[in-house]
Amino acid sequence: MKGTDRLWRLASYAFFAAFAIAAVSCNEAHPNTTLVPHSDFGREIDFLWDRLLLLGTIVFVLVEGALIFVVIKYRRRENQPTPPQTHGSTKLEITWTLIPAVILVFIAVPTVRTIFITQAQAAPGSLNIDVTGHQWWWEFRYPEYGVTTANEIYLPAGRTVNFRLRSADVIHSFWTPQLGGKRDVITNRTNYIWYTPDSSTASSVWNGFCVEFCGSSHANMRFRVFTVTPEQFASWLAGQKMPAHFGAVGPTPPAAASFASTSGGVAPGYIFPREKIPDYAVPHAPIPSGLNFTTGLTGSAARGKQVFSSSACIGCHSIAGNPAAMGITGPNLTHVGSRSTLAAGRYPNAAAYMALWIKNARAMKPDVIMPTLGLDEYDPVLKAKVTAATGGLTDQQIADIVAYLTALK
Amino acid sequence: MSAPATHGTVVHTSAPAAHHYTTLGIDNRKVAIWAFIGSECMLFVSLISTYLIYKGRSVVGPFPHESWTDPSTGHVLKPILNIPVTSASTFVLLMSSLFMVLALAAVQNKEKPKRTRGERILGNSRLWLWMTAIAGSTFLGFQAFEFTSFVHEGLTIRTNLFGSSFFTLTGFHGAHVTAGVLWLVTLLAIDYRRGLGSRDSLLVDIAALYWHFVDVIWIVIFTLVYLIK
Amino acid sequence: MATTAISTPAYGGEYSGEQSGLWSWLSTVDHKRIGILYLYTALFFFMFGGVEAIIMRAQLGAPNQHLVSAEFYNQLFTMHGTTMIFLAIMPLSAAFFNFLIPLQIGARDVAFPRLNAFSYWVYLFGGIFITVPILFAVAPNGGWFGYAPLTTKPYSPGINIDFWVIGLQILGVSSLAAAFNFLTTIINLRAPGMTLMRMPMFTWMAFVVQILLVLAFPVITIALVFLLFDRFFGTNFYNTVSAGADPLLWQHLFWIFGHPEVYILVLPAFGLVSEVLPTYSKKPLFGYPVMVYSGILIAALGFGVWAHHMFAVGMGPIADTFFGLTTMLIAIPTGVKIFNWIATMAQGAIRYTTSMLFGIGLVGLFTIGGISGIMHASPPADLQQTDTYFIVAHFHYVLFGGSIMGIFAGIYHYFPKITGRLLDERLGKIHFWLTFIAMNLTFFPMHFSGMLGMPRRIYTYDSGQGWDLFNAMSSAGAMIFPIAMLIFIYNFFKSRKSGEIAGSNPWGAGTLEWSIPSPPPDYNFARIPTVTSRYPLWEGKEVDHESARINSQEGKTAAELGIVMPYNTIKPLFVALGLIIMFCGLMTSPFLIALGAGLMVFSLYSWLLSPLEPEHH
Repeated sequence: MKGTDRLWRLASYAFFAAFAIAAVSCNEAHPNTTLVPHSDFGREIDFLWDRLLLLGTIVFVLVEGALIFVVIKYRRRENQPTPPQTHGSTKLEITWTLIPAVILVFIAVPTVRTIFITQAQAAPGSLNIDVTGHQWWWEFRYPEYGVTTANEIYLPAGRTVNFRLRSADVIHSFWTPQLGGKRDVITNRTNYIWYTPDSSTASSVWNGFCVEFCGSSHANMRFRVFTVTPEQFASWLAGQKMPAHFGAVGPTPPAAASFASTSGGVAPGYIFPREKIPDYAVPHAPIPSGLNFTTGLTGSAARGKQVFSSSACIGCHSIAGNPAAMGITGPNLTHVGSRSTLAAGRYPNAAAYMALWIKNARAMKPDVIMPTLGLDEYDPVLKAKVTAATGGLTDQQIADIVAYLTALK
Repeated sequence: MSAPATHGTVVHTSAPAAHHYTTLGIDNRKVAIWAFIGSECMLFVSLISTYLIYKGRSVVGPFPHESWTDPSTGHVLKPILNIPVTSASTFVLLMSSLFMVLALAAVQNKEKPKRTRGERILGNSRLWLWMTAIAGSTFLGFQAFEFTSFVHEGLTIRTNLFGSSFFTLTGFHGAHVTAGVLWLVTLLAIDYRRGLGSRDSLLVDIAALYWHFVDVIWIVIFTLVYLIK
Repeated sequence: MATTAISTPAYGGEYSGEQSGLWSWLSTVDHKRIGILYLYTALFFFMFGGVEAIIMRAQLGAPNQHLVSAEFYNQLFTMHGTTMIFLAIMPLSAAFFNFLIPLQIGARDVAFPRLNAFSYWVYLFGGIFITVPILFAVAPNGGWFGYAPLTTKPYSPGINIDFWVIGLQILGVSSLAAAFNFLTTIINLRAPGMTLMRMPMFTWMAFVVQILLVLAFPVITIALVFLLFDRFFGTNFYNTVSAGADPLLWQHLFWIFGHPEVYILVLPAFGLVSEVLPTYSKKPLFGYPVMVYSGILIAALGFGVWAHHMFAVGMGPIADTFFGLTTMLIAIPTGVKIFNWIATMAQGAIRYTTSMLFGIGLVGLFTIGGISGIMHASPPADLQQTDTYFIVAHFHYVLFGGSIMGIFAGIYHYFPKITGRLLDERLGKIHFWLTFIAMNLTFFPMHFSGMLGMPRRIYTYDSGQGWDLFNAMSSAGAMIFPIAMLIFIYNFFKSRKSGEIAGSNPWGAGTLEWSIPSPPPDYNFARIPTVTSRYPLWEGKEVDHESARINSQEGKTAAELGIVMPYNTIKPLFVALGLIIMFCGLMTSPFLIALGAGLMVFSLYSWLLSPLEPEHH
C-alpha cells in the first residue's frame, strides 16, 4: 500500500546512494586509513575490528530487518480489531538476553588476549624513541644515538620501535593511524607504545597526528614517519648525529648537497628523497592572506648565522655546533634543512614558507608560541607592531637566516 | 489509605497541610533529606578519594605524618597533624550528636508531663539545641585554631598537594558544620518565638538527620586523614 | 483518528483565570507551566547549539578552510557539546519530567513546587551565563570535557574557562535540586494503587535518571570545585607545573560523572518511546518488568564503566580488561530494550503518526549507536577509534538518534496534552523525514572519516587525506537540519494557535495523564485516582474508569472543588538570582559576592518561613 511503496522507494534510493558513495570513495586515496595495517600492532587491532565489523553487521541486519519487517507487517488495517494484548514472554526475553551475551563472548575473548599482547613490555633490543609533546609540535629523541629532531621520525622497517611518551605541557596523544593505535602523552607521566613496522614498508611515509585536544592549534600538531631500510636508517642517524652541517665548530662534514644524492648508501646523511614523498604527506595549507615577503632577495648563509646567533632565535632553539644557540623551548634546528615540513606538518619546508614563518609565525599558525619577528609585522599576542627596538628583523635579515637554516641538512 | 497523623500543620513554616496524601505515609521532606544525604555521600567520597590519591605525592612539605627537610634551607618541618587536639574536637562533635538526639526527644515529648527535675532538664528542647549548636561551634573553633596554626607552620592551601586536598576536604566539612549550626540557630529562633512542640518534630528530625550525617562523615575523615598514617 | 475523548475542551492552551500574564509565569509554581518554560528555553538552546554545529560543519566542508579562526572553532565545539548536553537535552528531558511525572502517577504537583521553580530559574540564568560569552568570542574553549591541565590557569589564562567552570556549577545546582524534587515526588506522591511496578515506563526511567543525577552530579561538582580553586585561589589539584599533580585525577572524576551522564541523557528518551510505541501499536509494552530491570541495570553498570573513555591513557591491561568487559555487559540490557520495543510493535496495529515515526526512528538509529559502541568497548580496537570522527558518529547516533528522536516523539505525542491542540501531522512527517535524512547524511559518513584517520576537534584538515568526500557529505547533511527545524517551529506555533482541538485522549493511550482534560487544569486531578493496572484506561477495573470519568470533567476551578493550591511566589526566582549574582561576583568583585549571597539568604529564609499554600480547614 501507500506507506509500503514509499518505504520501498526510499530503501532503493538509499541503496543506490550507498553504492554511489562506495564507488566514489574507492577512487579517493585513503592515506590515513586504519583499515589497512602495516605493523604487528595494527594487525592485532585489525583482526579485532574485522570480527567486530562482521558481528556488528550481522546484528545490524537482523535487528533493522526485524524492525522494518514488524513496522510494515503490523501496520494498522481497516476495521482491525484490537490486537492481542500480550504483556511479554519469558522464553523470548531469555533468548534475546542470551544471544547478545554469547556474541559478546566472541568479542571479549580475543579482546582480552589482544590487550595483554599489545600492552606487554617491548622486546629487548627495540629501538627506543623518546617522544615529547609540546604545544603544538613533537620532539623526538633517539636516546641511544644522541639524536634530537622534531616533527618527523625515521624508522628502520622490520625493527620494533618503543616510544616513550612524555609531555612538556598539556595532554597530547600520539597516533600514526596506519602503524598502530594511539597512546596519550600525559603530563607528569611516562607512557609507552611499541610496534614493528612491516619490512615491506621500507621507503614509505606515514602521517601522524595529535589526537587529544591540546589548545588552539591542536589541528596543526602533525608529524611524519619515514620507514626506511636499516641501511638508510643507519645513514640517516649518522648524519643527524653530526653537528650542524654549516659553519659548525668541529669536524667539517661533506657538503650538504652530496648527501641527498647518496640515498641508499652507507655514507652518513641519508634523507628521504623529497621527490618521492607522496602527495598526502606534502602539506597543502595556503599561505594566510596579508603576508608578503620582498621578492628577489638573496640570502647569505654566513650572514644568516650571525643574525640568528645574535637575535631572539637562540632563546628557544638549539643548533648543535653553534654554541650561541642553546634554547630548549622550541624545536632543535641542528638539521632543520633535512626536514620535509615546517610548523609541525602545516607547511612544506621550503624557503618561501620558512621566510614567512620567521617573519610572522603567529599569522602562519594560530597562537603558536614562536613570536612575530618581522619588522613592522603585527603581533596578535602583544597586540602591537614589531619594531627594531623589540628585535624586529628586516626581510634581508630573514632571507639570510633562511639561507643559513636551509643549509642545515 | 490516609497518611498517619504523626505530623501536624506548622504555622509559619512550609510544612504541607496534614491532609496531603503521600505514598509512604511520611513527609516529603523526610524522603528528600535522605536523597540529599545520598548525594552528599558522593560529594565526600570524591573529596576523600582525592585526598587519599594525593597522599604521599606532595613534592614539598610540610607533610601530615612525616617530617620534611627543606633541601634549600635545611629547615626541618615536623609532621603537621596534631592528633591529640583533633581527638578532643572529634569528641566534642560526637557529643553534639548525643545532644541532638536529646533535643529531638525533648521536642517529640514536649506535651508529656514532666514530674522530676531530671525529666524537666531532659525535656528542655532549648537547652539541648543550644548544647548542640555550642558543641558544633566549638568544633569549628578547633578547626579555626588548627587552620591558623598550620598556616603558621608553613602549610597553606597553595603549598602542596597535601595542603590543597586537606584544606579543601576539611574545609568542606567545616562548611557543612557551619550550615548545621545556622540550621540549629534557626530552630532555636522558632523555639523562642513560638515554642517547638511535638507537631514540629519533623523539623527537628530532618535537622538531626543532617547533623548526624555530618558527624559520621567526620568520623570517616578523622580515621582516614588523622589516624591512619 | 481513534479517540476515547469524553469531552472536548473549548480552549486551546490558555490557562484560565488569574493564571496569565508575565507575572504569572515569573511566579508560577505549577509543574506544568514550569515544564512549558523548560520546553521553550531548552528548544531555544537546542537551536543555538545547532547553529554552532552548522558553523563548524561549514568550516569542515572542505579542507584548509578559514571561515572561523582556530580559537573560535574551539569555542564552538566546546559550547556545542556543553549546550546540547546541559542546556538542551537535559532540560528537554526535564520539561517532560515536570509536565508528566505528576500526571502519570496521579499527583497534584511535584513534592516541592517552589524548589521546582527555583530549579528552572537557576537553569535559565546559568544557561544565559554560559552562553552569552560566545557572542563576544570569549566562550569556554577547553572542550565540554575540560581536560586538565589544559583548563588550568597556566595554559588557559583567559576568562573563557572561568565561564565554563562557574556555569556548570550553576547548572549542577539546578539539576540536583530538580533531582531531589522528582525523586521525592516519585517515591512519595504516587496515587493509591500506583505501585512501583504499575508506574508508566517514562516515570520509571525518570526515576532511574534522578538516582543517577543525585549520585553523579556531586562528583562533577567536586571536580569543578578543584578546578575553580586552582584557577581562583591557586590550589594544586591539577597543578602539573610545580606541584606534581596527576592530570588523570580530573579524567577519573569527570568520567565517573560523565558516563552516567550519558544515561541521564538517553534514558528519558527511552521512557518516552516506551509510552509512544505501545500507544500507536495498541498493545501494552512488551516485557514491562524486564524493561524496568534493564533500565536499572544500565544505570547501575553505568557507574562501573567510566574509564572506557580513557583506554588510550595507558591504565594498564588489568584496568583495560575490567572496563572493557563491564562496558560490553551494558550491551545486554540495552539490547533487551531494543528487542522488547520491536516485540511491542509486533502483532500490533501500528499507526504511522509523526510521534510513532520518531519512536521507530529511535529504535533503528540507536541500534546503530549501540553497535558502534560495542566496537570501542574493546580497548585495543578503541585505540584506533578514540578521538576520531568514528566516536563523533557513535555518540551522535546515541544522542541524536536516541535522545533527540525520543524527545521529538515525546513532543508530538504530548503536545496535545500540553496545549490542548494537535500538531499538524503533514508538516510533522516532513519534519521527521528531513531530520531522518539529515541525521544519517551528517553522521553516517563520520564513521568512515573516523576509520580513515580523521581526528576529532580539529578546526581544519589538509587536502589529500582521503577525508574530503565524507566531510562534504556531513556538511551537506548538516545544512538540512535548519530546514527541518524551521518546519517544526512553524508547525509548533501554528498548531499552538489553530491546531485541531485534541480532547483529553486523542491517541487512545492507556496511562493516567490521558484521563484528564487537555490542557490539564491547574489541580490536575479533580479527585486523586485509584489505580489497579499499568494502563488504567485500557485494562483498568471499574474504579479506574470511575476516576477517569470524574477527572475528565472540566471547567471547575480548584476553589469550587475545594482543592488547596500552592501560592504563586517570586521568591524562588530571587534566590536563583542571588545565586547567579554571587557566582558573577567570583569573576568580578567581592562586593557582588556579598550582594548575591545576601539576596540569596534573605529570599531563601523568606521562602522557607512563608507557607506553601493556604491553611486547610
